[in-house]
Amino acid sequence: MLESLSALATPITMGILYGGLYVVIALGLSLVFGVMKVINVAHGDFVILGSYFAYVVLTSKGVDPVLSLGLGIPLFFIMGILIQKYLLYRAFKISTDAALIIAFGISLIIQNAAQLAWTPMSKSLQTGYSFKSFQVGDVYIPLVYLLDFIVAVIVVVVVHQFLQRTYLGQAITAASQDQQTAELMGINPATVYQYAFGIAIALAAVAGVFLGLTFPFNPISGVPFLIIAFGVIILGGLGSMVGTFIGGMIFGLSQSLGGHFWGPTGQLLVPFLMVLVILTIRPQGLFGR
Amino acid sequence: MPEEALLHVNNIDVFYGNLQVLWDISLEVRSGEMVAIAGANGAGKSTLLKTISGLMHPARGNIHFNSREITHLNAHEIVNLGISQVPEGRKPFPEMTVLQNLVIGSYSQKARTLRNKNLAKVYEFFPLLKKRKNQLAKTLSGGEQQMLVIGRGLMSNPRILIIDEMSLGLSPIFVRELFGVLHDIKAQGITILLVEQNVWQTLHEADRAYIIETGRLVLSGNARDLCEEEEVRNAYFGA
Repeated sequence: MLESLSALATPITMGILYGGLYVVIALGLSLVFGVMKVINVAHGDFVILGSYFAYVVLTSKGVDPVLSLGLGIPLFFIMGILIQKYLLYRAFKISTDAALIIAFGISLIIQNAAQLAWTPMSKSLQTGYSFKSFQVGDVYIPLVYLLDFIVAVIVVVVVHQFLQRTYLGQAITAASQDQQTAELMGINPATVYQYAFGIAIALAAVAGVFLGLTFPFNPISGVPFLIIAFGVIILGGLGSMVGTFIGGMIFGLSQSLGGHFWGPTGQLLVPFLMVLVILTIRPQGLFGR
Repeated sequence: MPEEALLHVNNIDVFYGNLQVLWDISLEVRSGEMVAIAGANGAGKSTLLKTISGLMHPARGNIHFNSREITHLNAHEIVNLGISQVPEGRKPFPEMTVLQNLVIGSYSQKARTLRNKNLAKVYEFFPLLKKRKNQLAKTLSGGEQQMLVIGRGLMSNPRILIIDEMSLGLSPIFVRELFGVLHDIKAQGITILLVEQNVWQTLHEADRAYIIETGRLVLSGNARDLCEEEEVRNAYFGA
């Protein structure tokens, strides 16, 4: 049953590369959970909203999805801040459950609005490079998978530098580790939540573009990606950029290899089996604290 | 004309939900003093400090700092006014380095401009922190963490430094050294308010003290005089 390594080279490379997409999706989720200790159950839907945004810009103005991020990122950032400030934070002050319910409500609204606006039919972001692939040795890789990986590296580096080198970034880091003590440093938790959420939704916009370039999507595609993002965070460990990155790679890799050996079922099953295995050996995740 | 106290706590009652934990507490701290609030475990000392620093709010009574009412301000606003609290249990940010912890201490706008000056001062008080500046806080020993969080508290450029249970888990000799540093800090013009279970050592270091028992203030006065008080000796300097 042992296949030669060269036959596996393709699924291995592909899995690692498109795992980059999962990294970008998971990063936004991780940021919000780190500060608010609440899973934004609408995160996957915000990602899909990002895909639809790029779709609208592409089909109406012919602008390349990656370029549309020039508008998409600031737009989604502001949207994130406003939603946090006027909706989520108010619910959060009542209880974390209330915030969870509001997030669930937002999820439903996005899904149904998307259905109304763009029908339940699958869409994708078709560009000149959508079907291009490149060759390394015997391995043919779709170009968009390489883009997924590159954008994951860029995003992780940028977010990491932001968290390390700016006062706001350090405030977010501190609040994630110990909110009450962070308040004693003069850090306003409401401000931290707003910016963390704004950044998370901006990251969702980025994830949405690359998701749309990589896979077809429809109004309810957000949910499976939310679950994958959750799996990535658990795998990699909370509070670690490196962990999220490695987690995404492992997830993509196990999905790809699972699909290679066991078809669609393997694709779904193997990654989550990996999550279970890691959780058993190391409950805090590979790089978690 | 009597000097206006820097910090005035007036007749506060504090509750956890429906449970009252502090009754009619009044105290004052004058500029340049080292004042201690001493009492047994569970007496309500930390609750009192949390109320002063804005993490909790009194149901009745008021608190004034520098002639300004701060009773209902939030913690992050109070820090900006010049009150810095070093929390119970030390609480350094575990995944941040010594230097990162110190820098985040100067988060408030005013403190940021004075960051480098205050950092140099902190390194003078605690040379060990300079040596270990790139070490992760969670890997420090209890005593080293205590030095770190006091240094971090100083980074916010406070007028009054509040320290909650400094001596917990530390050797008396080390605590003695820490008090030495506190006296140096006090000599630089920073007022110090301490909360301590270790009544004996604290009464020998502070200027004035309040004794708190099950949520009420039972004694107050000059720290040395309190050492001689029969009640205090019997209750806290046990046979």
